[in-house]
Amino acid sequence: MAPPPTPLSPSELSYLHTSLSLHPPIRPDARSPTSFRPLVAETDLLPAANGSARLCFADGTEAIAGVKAEVEKVQGLGNVRWYDNMDAEMGGIEESERDGEQEGERGKGVGEDKWIEVTVDMPGQRDDDAMVVFLAQMIHEGLVADGGLKNRLVINARWHWRLYIDILLLSPPHTYPLPLLSLTTHLALLSTRLPAPISNHDEDPLFNDDWDASSPLYPSSDTYPDAKTPPQSSPARPPITLLVISVGDNVFFDASREELAVADAVLAVTVGAPSSPSTGLNLLAVRTIDPPSRLSASAAEVGRAGAEIDAEGGKEGVWKASKGGMKRRVLARMVQMCVEGGGVGEEVLGGLGEFS
Amino acid sequence: MPLDTSTYHLALLRLDGRRWNELRRLHAQISTQASADGSSYLEMGNTKVICTIAGPAEVRGAARREGAERDNAVVTVEIGIAGFSGVDRRRGGGGGGKGRGDKRTTEMQNTIASAFQSTLFTHLYPHSTITISLHILSQDGSLLAACLNAATLALIDAGVPMSDYIVACTSGLTPPKSGTESADPLLDLNGMEEQELPWLTVGTLGAGERVSVLVLESRVQVGRLEGMLAVGVDGCKQVREILDGVVRRQGKRVLESVIS
Repeated sequence: MAPPPTPLSPSELSYLHTSLSLHPPIRPDARSPTSFRPLVAETDLLPAANGSARLCFADGTEAIAGVKAEVEKVQGLGNVRWYDNMDAEMGGIEESERDGEQEGERGKGVGEDKWIEVTVDMPGQRDDDAMVVFLAQMIHEGLVADGGLKNRLVINARWHWRLYIDILLLSPPHTYPLPLLSLTTHLALLSTRLPAPISNHDEDPLFNDDWDASSPLYPSSDTYPDAKTPPQSSPARPPITLLVISVGDNVFFDASREELAVADAVLAVTVGAPSSPSTGLNLLAVRTIDPPSRLSASAAEVGRAGAEIDAEGGKEGVWKASKGGMKRRVLARMVQMCVEGGGVGEEVLGGLGEFS
Repeated sequence: MPLDTSTYHLALLRLDGRRWNELRRLHAQISTQASADGSSYLEMGNTKVICTIAGPAEVRGAARREGAERDNAVVTVEIGIAGFSGVDRRRGGGGGGKGRGDKRTTEMQNTIASAFQSTLFTHLYPHSTITISLHILSQDGSLLAACLNAATLALIDAGVPMSDYIVACTSGLTPPKSGTESADPLLDLNGMEEQELPWLTVGTLGAGERVSVLVLESRVQVGRLEGMLAVGVDGCKQVREILDGVVRRQGKRVLESVIS
């Protein structure tokens, strides 16, 4: 999944690499390592979808996500699992002990992974293209790892919602589109509303026609309908995936295309909002992504010759792909900056929360 | 979905409260995406389309062998219908990728490509392609017309010279009033009316009466065709006014940002 190569020369790349590994680092656009470029977002723009969002990043890439929900009958084992829970339901405590992620009024049953379907559509790419499938899978993984979302889809013992999340990338992929797609999905899920049921517990579900009566999939804190929930707990949020790069010992967020080209390591970190406040965020997934430099010819040669670690190899002023792996200290710091209380992850979640 | 349109003759009002010659709300934006050569966003009622242009660019890959000796630019059209665009979710309706898309989408692609192939000054760009990508976000009738209008705007944004705007709208025919033979033409049908009534899409070049696109897929008495066409062409004039306003506003904005 390599984006097109940057038009920068080896000496320009070398300059960029050097300035990014300084202390403090100097980014080409003078941002601080953790600051994001401005982005444009819009939610609830499609009348035919339950939730939708459009997001434009500063580099001109743009994506639209639409969420559509359908009612479906629970199949097979899901039934049994539910009835187990029903016995214990009188004492809701037991149940929540067994499944730590149970939350809110919806979280009475246990959802299944396959209730959420994610598809990614990219211009000029086939449906079964490896990159498209990989991206969809990564976003799906994040959403189900959270656990909160799929449990919200339970309607009653026999029925559940099935969520189709279709993500359209409207622009050609200049950089790794993963953070763009993930943030768009986040916004779309935040704006998703499901019709209010008017049927009782285990009846076939009937819904209120009035769209104003519909309830949001992710209730925001001030309109939280369940009075029993302690007000100090932060509202649940869909997870997001951030792309973090490291150059030398420095860690950068929201890397531009040029910065990605000289990155030593690229990490996709998926974080979710915690169920209890003030502990930072939950870490849901970490994936390493091959930086573009690894895909160049010189890097491939090194791979064949065996991992020979060379700290500052090559000539002065000519950029060469870094060899060897990444330091554990850097890796730890990259993840730490995403999840810690008051860290970048919380800031992004907070910023996106303003839209809903 | 059967739908009762026979109430039209009682008050001469349509299902959504319009009169026979009224367009739906037509709203358009131009230059919506920075990374594309040209882009536009168009709403005709609840039909919403995003169009992006790539090119004119050099022909690459397999298409090169076919197109290398041509003296004109080749216009290709890709239409992607989003899964969430309709009332029910539908997978794989579009031709955004290769090797998929149904026949109706393919036909729309061909219609749009041939319309612009003859209107754009393609002889200025030999050995190149102009790719029009249309993303349909929401559909509620007049799909082809919305695609044509959005593509026109995006091509203007991309700076591809053309002789005039291609503007399009639909027109239909009410069911005959009981007891008489008369049937009134209607302008700009919405999705529900399209399923019920005979309708055609007409696209004209500019505000004149030069028809460049005409698609009629339903049965209609030939005597009534003329009335439908006249209403459609008249609607195209109104659409051109609106699109022209959009382009001029954008032009003014660009000029102001240059001056200040």
